[in-house]
Amino acid sequence: MKTITIDPITRLEGHGKIEIFLNDEGEVDNVYFQVPELRGFEKFCEGRPVEELPSIVTKICGVCPGCHHMASGKAVDAVFGVDPSPTAKKLRELFYMAHFVHSHIAHFYALAAPDFVVGPTASPAERNILGVINKVGIEIGTEVIKQRRLAQEIQALLGGHQTHVVMNIPGGVKKGLTEEERDDIVKKAEGFIEFSKFSMKLFKDVVLGNKDYVDLILNGPYSLKLHSMGLVDKNNKVNFYDGSVRVVDTDGKQLYRYTPKDYMDYVEERVEPWTYLKFPYLKKLGWKGFVDGQESGVYQATPLSRLNASDGMATPIAQQEYDYMFSTLGGKPVHATLAMHWARLVELIYSAEHCYELATDPDITGKELRAPIEKIVGEGVGIVEAQRGTLTHHYWTDDKGMVRKVNLIVGTTNNHAAICMSLKKAAQGLIKKGIPATEGTLNMIEMAFRAYDPCFSCATHSLPGQMRMVVNFYNSKGELIRSIGR
Amino acid sequence: MDKKSGNILVLGIGNDILKDDGIGPKLVKDLQKETFPEGICFKTSSMGGLEILEMIRDYNTVLILDAIKTKEGMPGDVYYFNPSDFHETMHLSNLHDVNFITAIELAKKIKLSIPENIHIIAVEIVEDLEFGRSLSPELEEKYPEILEHVHDHLYSKLFPAAG
Repeated sequence: MKTITIDPITRLEGHGKIEIFLNDEGEVDNVYFQVPELRGFEKFCEGRPVEELPSIVTKICGVCPGCHHMASGKAVDAVFGVDPSPTAKKLRELFYMAHFVHSHIAHFYALAAPDFVVGPTASPAERNILGVINKVGIEIGTEVIKQRRLAQEIQALLGGHQTHVVMNIPGGVKKGLTEEERDDIVKKAEGFIEFSKFSMKLFKDVVLGNKDYVDLILNGPYSLKLHSMGLVDKNNKVNFYDGSVRVVDTDGKQLYRYTPKDYMDYVEERVEPWTYLKFPYLKKLGWKGFVDGQESGVYQATPLSRLNASDGMATPIAQQEYDYMFSTLGGKPVHATLAMHWARLVELIYSAEHCYELATDPDITGKELRAPIEKIVGEGVGIVEAQRGTLTHHYWTDDKGMVRKVNLIVGTTNNHAAICMSLKKAAQGLIKKGIPATEGTLNMIEMAFRAYDPCFSCATHSLPGQMRMVVNFYNSKGELIRSIGR
Repeated sequence: MDKKSGNILVLGIGNDILKDDGIGPKLVKDLQKETFPEGICFKTSSMGGLEILEMIRDYNTVLILDAIKTKEGMPGDVYYFNPSDFHETMHLSNLHDVNFITAIELAKKIKLSIPENIHIIAVEIVEDLEFGRSLSPELEEKYPEILEHVHDHLYSKLFPAAG
């Protein structure tokens, strides 16, 4: 038996890396972002009955298992050419709203709020959720834990398990909802609405009430003019579970609006030699490199992109907040990376309101849970909005429904090029010749990254640590001159 | 909720379709086959951060089994931590969440009922980047020894009287 203490930077493997290359003047020339690669998921799936995939895919990500379950369930429906009943669709969506509530609460309070409530250059010892609670009060911390738990209880009830969800089967769902269970969800959803409104008020008080923060959002080194992608309903309102994929250009004009099955006509993936993770881009515009602007093929699929790509929110309070956000930030589209935090809170309100709408819908306790399976089409695409971007599952099977091939484009992968560009822009804006980069500088570079709520546990693999990140600085000769780890 | 007096949770964390990453859940499944004194509960999870908090709350004692990758470690090395000397194992933290220590401090701050005793066992692994249900050959070879280590630790620390 031995007891050891491990320094996470010097001894643990598997960290993410930001490599910053400086020019002769000592300013940032280029930035590369790398994470470890995950291998063999397609091979793992090959030869399995396709109906097993919705349960298997919940294990490829410890952060957004519910999103993979939903995209997979829809792809499997398509493989069998079946359309679930209204009750089944609404139960899936109800589960999904609870998933968004718990995830968006976690991001705001654990990852976004420390930078603003505690301060972007505050000591790392204080710049965390504990520091947030010290500032805003213990009762808020209690509410964060409580509301997340209640959202997870809904997921566990509908999904069979809060993480390893077993809800979706071809053509529908395994289990319905009783009146008593529905009443309980309605009460919880009422609480979500109040808490999401409170969270938005907190954001407005702390962030919008601070001129420096507003200036940082609007004028800091955090803006990229990229195209925006998001799933929309028939009225072009934001929808997380179903609809068409809409892409608007850097001026907010619709470029494309396509059904999920046609995604390969619009999105292509590029491989770069310095990373295993691919770079999706808009196929018709082509890959023009890591550049922003109207001609670029790079797009974003984030909470802010979803709002940019839509004509509004489908629930009343979220719509008010949508209007307020865009009017405050100068109209649509908004390209300020840090405004993703604001957009995420608009989405939190929508999720809470829609959770309530679905729970009070008479169909939700219906008994028709599954449509009959009559054929095997052999190919199917399912697209949902994951918290961190548009999530695509594409399956091919043989005539017995056994998996032949799998293709996934996960939320964070959509944003891979944009994340690299955001990091470069932030580094270029914050690292200046003769001024040593501090821990605060590193954090402010990370803020560009953190706004995306990136999750690489399915894009590649779960990093073994909370933001274990090494930033390496190289001189113009390519020699490592400094390394900052955290 | 009242604390489950005397209750012990053995929690295996990891992904059982990601080769060695699933060492924690595999150990739990094998330990479950044995007979232990009453008051012990076995669970598995692939989550970290605040998710773990929800799983361990209301137990008196928790033993967490996780994977770890260090630069100098040999496959199958078993490390024993408690929260005071613990930094991070594979799943006790999460890019989208807070790390385990922060989660525990948060729980204390908001007066959540968390275990008085937290033991962490981490096993040095080889392969966690490739999907598959089997362990790497190096870890497979060491597995009986690892299981015995964990079993002995369980008895010596959690059931000293029975051991």
